[in-house]
Amino acid sequence: MDLLFWMPVLCAGLVAGASTGLLGGYIVGMRIPFLGICVAHAALAGAVFGALGGLSGPLLLLPALAAASISAIFVGLLDPQTIRIDINVVLGLLFSLMMGLAFLGLGLFSIYGISDNEVRNLLWGSLAFCRWSDLWIMAGTAGVECLFVVVFYKEMRAILFSRTHAAAAGIHVTFIWTLFLLLASLVLTVNFQTVGGLMIYSLLANPAVAASRLVRGYGPTLLVSAILGAASGLGGFLISAATDLPTGAMIVILSSLLVALAIAVKAWLA
Amino acid sequence: MTTAAIEFEKVNVLRGKRRILAIDGLSIAPSEVLAVLGPNGAGKSTFLKCCVGMIGLSSGSVRVLGRSVGDLSMVGLTRLRRRVAYLAQILAHGSEMPLTVREVVAIGRTGRIGLCRFFGNSDWQMVDQWIERLGLKNLARRPYNVLSGGEQRKTLLAMAMVQQPDILLLDEPTANLDAYWREQMVAVLENLHARENLTIVLVCHNLETIPKNTDRVLILREGQILAHGRPEEVLHQDRIESLYGQGLAVLRHHGRFLLAPQIQEECH
Repeated sequence: MDLLFWMPVLCAGLVAGASTGLLGGYIVGMRIPFLGICVAHAALAGAVFGALGGLSGPLLLLPALAAASISAIFVGLLDPQTIRIDINVVLGLLFSLMMGLAFLGLGLFSIYGISDNEVRNLLWGSLAFCRWSDLWIMAGTAGVECLFVVVFYKEMRAILFSRTHAAAAGIHVTFIWTLFLLLASLVLTVNFQTVGGLMIYSLLANPAVAASRLVRGYGPTLLVSAILGAASGLGGFLISAATDLPTGAMIVILSSLLVALAIAVKAWLA
Repeated sequence: MTTAAIEFEKVNVLRGKRRILAIDGLSIAPSEVLAVLGPNGAGKSTFLKCCVGMIGLSSGSVRVLGRSVGDLSMVGLTRLRRRVAYLAQILAHGSEMPLTVREVVAIGRTGRIGLCRFFGNSDWQMVDQWIERLGLKNLARRPYNVLSGGEQRKTLLAMAMVQQPDILLLDEPTANLDAYWREQMVAVLENLHARENLTIVLVCHNLETIPKNTDRVLILREGQILAHGRPEEVLHQDRIESLYGQGLAVLRHHGRFLLAPQIQEECH
């Protein structure tokens, strides 16, 4: 393997895994993993319609980010008590709508006779094609995420526990929750091109689930979730390179194996 | 003149066309312990939620620590909530993340510390003090989710206390607890009031939950005040029959109350 050539890909796998793993710590912690898949599909739909509108390359991130942010804010600010529908049901409805829109857009490519190769890469992921320019965007996003975690560390712990209790304890829940949703949109939009809109869910959920089986406490769980995410991203690519199997699928399978391993370790320790 | 801790003035809360709370006037003095009773759907939980701005008023005003809750901005309301600890009736499910008891208790301190500031040694000392005072020391490193209902309630009470509130609002703090844990909780409340001189408003279904040092009892029915006054004046047999029907007797023992079925005569 030409390490110099593959270095941006290795780093991208590492960064994408760590940042989605860290984000997943919160999303799984709040028991709303569907938020991740819903936002990722909204980003995908946004990118598809952006490409239909003539955008390409990094510019596709703009409509993807806009669609992801709108859907995240919409879901995040819904009050389940007012609408009287469980939030996971709303997420399921929105997810299917976004999926439908994305596939409608993909269908329109063939109707208008436009090539949909670039968009299909977003669907299935294209980690092997990551270059330094992509990596800088991913690293910058990861930096913003780390900054958010440091600045709102204690407030997010309260929100993670219960938004009602956090509000009752005098925490600016609406402000911080909105910022978190925007951050989630950014992280998912920037990273879904590596493993694909369909498979980023595994990097979001699996490391966090495994981490919560291995350690206890807020900080340790976030840290281990990020480490397991990085291991899944990097390890998945290395297995893919060694076996010539699809990268996205290898990342999903590896992260799922980590969950199984974590459950087995916990059972053994118990 | 001392400002009332909580004041209700011509308060109406409507849900659709249904009136769920209607209180013309009520004042709760600082350091007072008030127990709120009433049948299901009487508006007890709404009464508490009005005090922390968790439910909007259709008309009237609720003043808490001298501030009109309905007129406060989001920032003002957040600041007020730091001085008023509210424990909801339903236990928090907690997080899928295994947050420890110590971490959950620390949540109560978060608002007080404020944005962009970190926990200091004194904050953690206060967290540890309340964990110890409520008998949770051995559980401090255990995940909240694996605790029993009683232990979770005590954890949430510790969380409220590290907030250093002026007012403590409790919605059925002994719900789902067995007799042992119920008595533990009542003892904790009596101690808290004696030591901290807090204003406590306690919503409860069972008379045995009312602490000995309760100053007044407020009885709500269909959102309106049916009676309020000293416990021994309000909790008499006729009133209980008018609320819950016949067949229940009010017993009083060493300042505590108990509602028991009248079955002795039938046995004979």
